[in-house]
Amino acid sequence: MSFLRALVSAGPSARLATHVVPPRASLLLANRLLSTTARRLHADPLPGAPHTPDHLHDVVAPRSPGTKPATFTAADEPGKDFDPYKDGPGAVDKAVHLFFFTEILRGMWIVLEQFFRPPYTIMYPFEKGPLSPRFRGEHALRRYPSGEERCIACKLCEAICPAQAITIESEARMDGSRRTTRYDIDMTKCIYCGFCQEACPVDAIVETQNQEFSTETREELLYNKEKLLANGDRAEAEIAANLHADHVYR
Amino acid sequence: MVSLARTIRSIRRVGLKEWWHQMQYIGDAKSGNLMGKDQFGNRYFENLNAEEEVPGRHRWVDFAQHDFNATQVPAEWHSWLSHIRKDPPPEDRVMQNLSPPWKAPWIENLTGTRGVYRAFNTTKPKIEAWQPKVIPRGQ
Repeated sequence: MSFLRALVSAGPSARLATHVVPPRASLLLANRLLSTTARRLHADPLPGAPHTPDHLHDVVAPRSPGTKPATFTAADEPGKDFDPYKDGPGAVDKAVHLFFFTEILRGMWIVLEQFFRPPYTIMYPFEKGPLSPRFRGEHALRRYPSGEERCIACKLCEAICPAQAITIESEARMDGSRRTTRYDIDMTKCIYCGFCQEACPVDAIVETQNQEFSTETREELLYNKEKLLANGDRAEAEIAANLHADHVYR
Repeated sequence: MVSLARTIRSIRRVGLKEWWHQMQYIGDAKSGNLMGKDQFGNRYFENLNAEEEVPGRHRWVDFAQHDFNATQVPAEWHSWLSHIRKDPPPEDRVMQNLSPPWKAPWIENLTGTRGVYRAFNTTKPKIEAWQPKVIPRGQ
């Protein structure tokens, strides 16, 4: 029964490792009843046949201790033959670095080097760090070069907005084209994911590179259509240049 | 940043008055090529010599106003100052060709002033209050 307990505790890896089972174990298996033993345990190769390695022979031995009819010791753990300390520093070297604080001294030397180097502080309002043309900042509604507003009130941006920050209402204009009468973005809800500008079929709603739109009150961040169109009107050259710089990757 | 040789070199290039002006605002003696001025009078400089300016600090703006603000930089120069565009706007052909005739003048962030943006409703109200129409009696 101890063998059965070992077989059960070894789990499915024991069944995979049947072809490395020593012959003594296979004899023990042969003495068991067929009804209480899995059929595939009997399907071991013939005992007298020579071992012919074919081209599918797996070089890597299965990392399994096999089905030995005894409790496993620490020596049976796979991967024990690998010595990770073989090419490393010796014990004396490590003791020298430990007791003479060389790591600490080397770290403090780097601090001393940085002390005499010019600092890398960017003086913010005068100098700025690099931004990407894909940077997602304040929103803007764009116009066509003729001056006609682009948004056709398809409400795809409203549908895709994960924060549900966009509210759109639309009506037919006097000439029959459908335009928005309300395009509100709650900038306090917006998470600046950029899904709205990806969903837009006419490139109407974009996120400009402007990140300096902080306000003193919360009400100023509830943008309506006029504010978004004004943002687009004053930054159209930058928006168009960014789209032009990025169009080959889209 | 604060190396004595670099400070003396910049003072010799820009002059004592400009150096004093720089120390009041950017707080560092810098010297470089004047790349242009925008419509507000802000001056934009560039120095691509990595020995003189740390890379990343090689483009800077000198604001015209004493009460300077990062949003006083118009959008075209903002994209140059943020290293989005390589060329300054007067030399950037793409930026010039894509500037529409209806481009609105740049307005800085007016929060906290009287010109602040206030949200308003752009649609007709959904619910209209009932207006009683009283027919005078005796008719």
